[in-house]
Amino acid sequence: MTANERLGVSTNASEEEIRAAYLSKVKEFPPDRSPVEFEAVRDAYETLCDPRKRFQAMLLSSAFSAPLVSLLSGHKARRNFVGPQPWREVLKTK
Amino acid sequence: MSPLPASLPHENGQPVENSVRQLIANGKSKIALENAKQFHKTQQSAASESLLLDAYQARIQALLDQNLAGEAKALVDLVRERFPAAKMRLETVGVAAAARAGDLAELLRPLNDAELSPERRAAIEQIIQTQVTDLNALSRCAALPAEHSLRQAAAALDRAFHAVTSGPVTEEQMALPEVSHRSPLAGWKLLIRAIACLYRGEDAQCRDFLATIKPESVPARLVPAMREMLEEKGTTGLKPVERALLSQVTVNCADLRSALENLDRAFAEEDDDARILKAVNVAVRECKRSAPEQVALLKQIVMVRGVAMALDHKRLTAALDGAVREDAAFFRMSARAMEISDDQEDLVEACFLWDEFRRQALREGLFPASGVEMAELYLHMADVLSGIPANWLKHVQEAREWGGKPASAEERYFLFPEKLYARACVIDQQADAFSRWLRWATSQSVTKAENVAREWQRIRPQDIEPLLYLMKEAEKRNAFPSALSYLEKAERIDAVHSVVRSARLRLLAAAALRHLQQKKPHLAMEKIALLAALPQSQQGDRPALLAGLRALTYASSRDQAGATAAQKEMERLLGSDLSARLLLFGIAAAAKHSDPILLPETKSLNREQRAAIPALIARVVAISQDLGIQKFEVPTLYLKEAEAQFASTSASLKVEQIRALGQLGLLTEHPKLAWAASEAGLKRGGPAEAYFLLLRAQATPPGLEVRRMALAAAAAELGRFHRDTDTVDEAVEILRNPFGGDSPSLTLEKAREVVRRELASAAFPGPFKPGPDYRDLLPVKVCQCADCRRERGEISGPFDDYDEEFDEEADDDFEFSEDEMRRIFNENMPKDIPPATAKLLFEVMKETLLSGASPDEVMARVFPGGPNGGGKKKGRRNR
Repeated sequence: MTANERLGVSTNASEEEIRAAYLSKVKEFPPDRSPVEFEAVRDAYETLCDPRKRFQAMLLSSAFSAPLVSLLSGHKARRNFVGPQPWREVLKTK
Repeated sequence: MSPLPASLPHENGQPVENSVRQLIANGKSKIALENAKQFHKTQQSAASESLLLDAYQARIQALLDQNLAGEAKALVDLVRERFPAAKMRLETVGVAAAARAGDLAELLRPLNDAELSPERRAAIEQIIQTQVTDLNALSRCAALPAEHSLRQAAAALDRAFHAVTSGPVTEEQMALPEVSHRSPLAGWKLLIRAIACLYRGEDAQCRDFLATIKPESVPARLVPAMREMLEEKGTTGLKPVERALLSQVTVNCADLRSALENLDRAFAEEDDDARILKAVNVAVRECKRSAPEQVALLKQIVMVRGVAMALDHKRLTAALDGAVREDAAFFRMSARAMEISDDQEDLVEACFLWDEFRRQALREGLFPASGVEMAELYLHMADVLSGIPANWLKHVQEAREWGGKPASAEERYFLFPEKLYARACVIDQQADAFSRWLRWATSQSVTKAENVAREWQRIRPQDIEPLLYLMKEAEKRNAFPSALSYLEKAERIDAVHSVVRSARLRLLAAAALRHLQQKKPHLAMEKIALLAALPQSQQGDRPALLAGLRALTYASSRDQAGATAAQKEMERLLGSDLSARLLLFGIAAAAKHSDPILLPETKSLNREQRAAIPALIARVVAISQDLGIQKFEVPTLYLKEAEAQFASTSASLKVEQIRALGQLGLLTEHPKLAWAASEAGLKRGGPAEAYFLLLRAQATPPGLEVRRMALAAAAAELGRFHRDTDTVDEAVEILRNPFGGDSPSLTLEKAREVVRRELASAAFPGPFKPGPDYRDLLPVKVCQCADCRRERGEISGPFDDYDEEFDEEADDDFEFSEDEMRRIFNENMPKDIPPATAKLLFEVMKETLLSGASPDEVMARVFPGGPNGGGKKKGRRNR
């Protein structure tokens, strides 16, 4: 798993996005409860904080050789605005 | 279930009442009502009426639950009309039915009463919370004044609900200050926020809001459908209206997922092109429908994979429904795909694509032209070039064109590692970049490496590494003044650096020996004086070495008294005359001292003295290794004696002494000594076992390639386990496949098995006792070309290297049968040779051929001048 994948940020994420993702992961894997995961998250953050390492990670990424269905893993399905009526129909049922 | 039969005995009504109540409890309200009606018709008692009213109440509630609010309200009206006294009893379901049917007046009117009891208010609010679905009706209910907080809240919620389901909303639209958290409509506020988060893609927050909605409230009815929207799972278990909502709101990616999986399979199975292209087309079409924002990336990935599979570019572009976007990301993927392919020729293409990536990234402003990213890219490109075989890279560099067009060397800079390293180091003058450049240059030539080290030293004068490199190279060519000058600079940077600390001792000792070689004892004495002044020269056995150097220097100066005194000092320091002589012998050999250093013959030594020889040699070798003295020698007779004595004395030696003796065995081509040392070391176990396996690999005689590789692979694995990096590096060097393929490797468990088998097979291997067979652990594919076989010592006959010229079938009849030999002999034999002489000559030829000589050599030897007086034939044998 690459550093970007570990923190769940894109390869061109900004420093703020990386930091926010790191803090969110630290909440998910606090060092006292999930020390191994925390180490991995910290390593990933350190990699992405160093511009050289971050760029190296980007250069060496082989995400394109991953199964194509992985394109959908981070993909959020589109949600259509359909107006209130279909929602109300559900509310009327019990 | 049928209604209560008319013949049912009603004298005792208890069983009937119980039956009706049981039916109500079981949710069979319709049958319960029919039975209660029948019962009341026959009984006409207060009890039967009460039972009937309960049955009506259950039936009304069931109709409400089935969303039949109109029917429920009609039934309430009917019951009220028939049983006016039961008006109060039906009030709760009555108002609920009216509320559900859109008639909220009856429900809300009591709220105008200032004297309304808290219980009654709570009951009304409970109905609002759990039954009222029409916010618009609530906001317009005339039973309450227009400014009533409930109407205000309902109106605000209705507006917000409409807005949030129709398009993006602002935070202000969702603030809803009109709805307090104590309001019976508070659940709607949470629902609206959950819907807003859902559309914004803030799924986690959406889940949080859904979790806080009270499950009995009206808004909770949307929770299952919304959870399905978040999870994107199947819609089983949902009601039809929920499924309808789900299908309208979310876009189903199932077809796209299936198309992508199908395309992955087609690529993985390397199907025929037509099938792959069809799968590509379907996937792109589905992606456009379900995930249009992913189309560009999908097309790029497919193009990269298609190129790697050599699919027809035009047909692939057509299948992709148009050209791919050639942005920096595309070139990065393409370059990376090329560099990780198994084909070394692709590496050149990869560098070209990295250059395209560089240009495009600059255009897109991904990083600045002089940023650290650019330097990293150049370093990466240089690393890629290092994977190209030198002759192939040279050929490409000399082509003077690229892509069929002439191109200057500057335009083709990406094919020249030195240009790439230089560019990287100019942009980002960091030690790691210079270190990588120096590592590459070291593999090229000493001159290149020294130039890089000098450049590094110029740009980063506080880095010690280039100085140490320059010092080491100067030392190698005996340029001790230069080496000492670099050392002084290094000492100014970091005097406590381990290499620096050991270097001054080593350099001064080497300089002294060099002066002795050059017959300049006065200069040698100066260096010895400097050496003696160093505090570290007083540690361990170093004073003995100093005394030895002095003894040699005095001897060179013809100062016999000084030499004798120094030698006595050596004896005193080492505690043994023999040790002193052995050390002096070794130093004298290193200094190419002309006067012989006399040692007693080993035969003249007593048993105890002979038994001590391995330990004595180990000690003096350790002294020489400590000061890095090259060409240190041990008398051959003493080495042989050490070999002979080793087995019986090894138990008393320290691991370091065993190591020193093993190393000496290798250096002096006494592999049996090295082998014995490895055995003694392996028996000790511990962290040094990796080293002793490596020693054994190095001492393995030629022809036992599988065993040697197994030993090296085990040494590498155990070295990694014990963090013995020096051993790992040396073992990896033995294992390195010269053709760039995978090197053999073992697991830790298998490495331990190698140790076990080696301990069980102590004897030095030979042609008839090759030792353990490791083919089960290490299926080594040993290169069978003539050069490699010769290097391994497997080619003994001069014909063996012809093997590669012939196919396997031909090899079978390429043995020198007697008939074949006779034919060659007859063809070359002069006609006038007597039969007896010919027979003798044939026997000579046969013997010579079998000993490994070539037919040409043999014939030239047997018939000088040839059958027709011709000279020696040249070239390979023709059959």
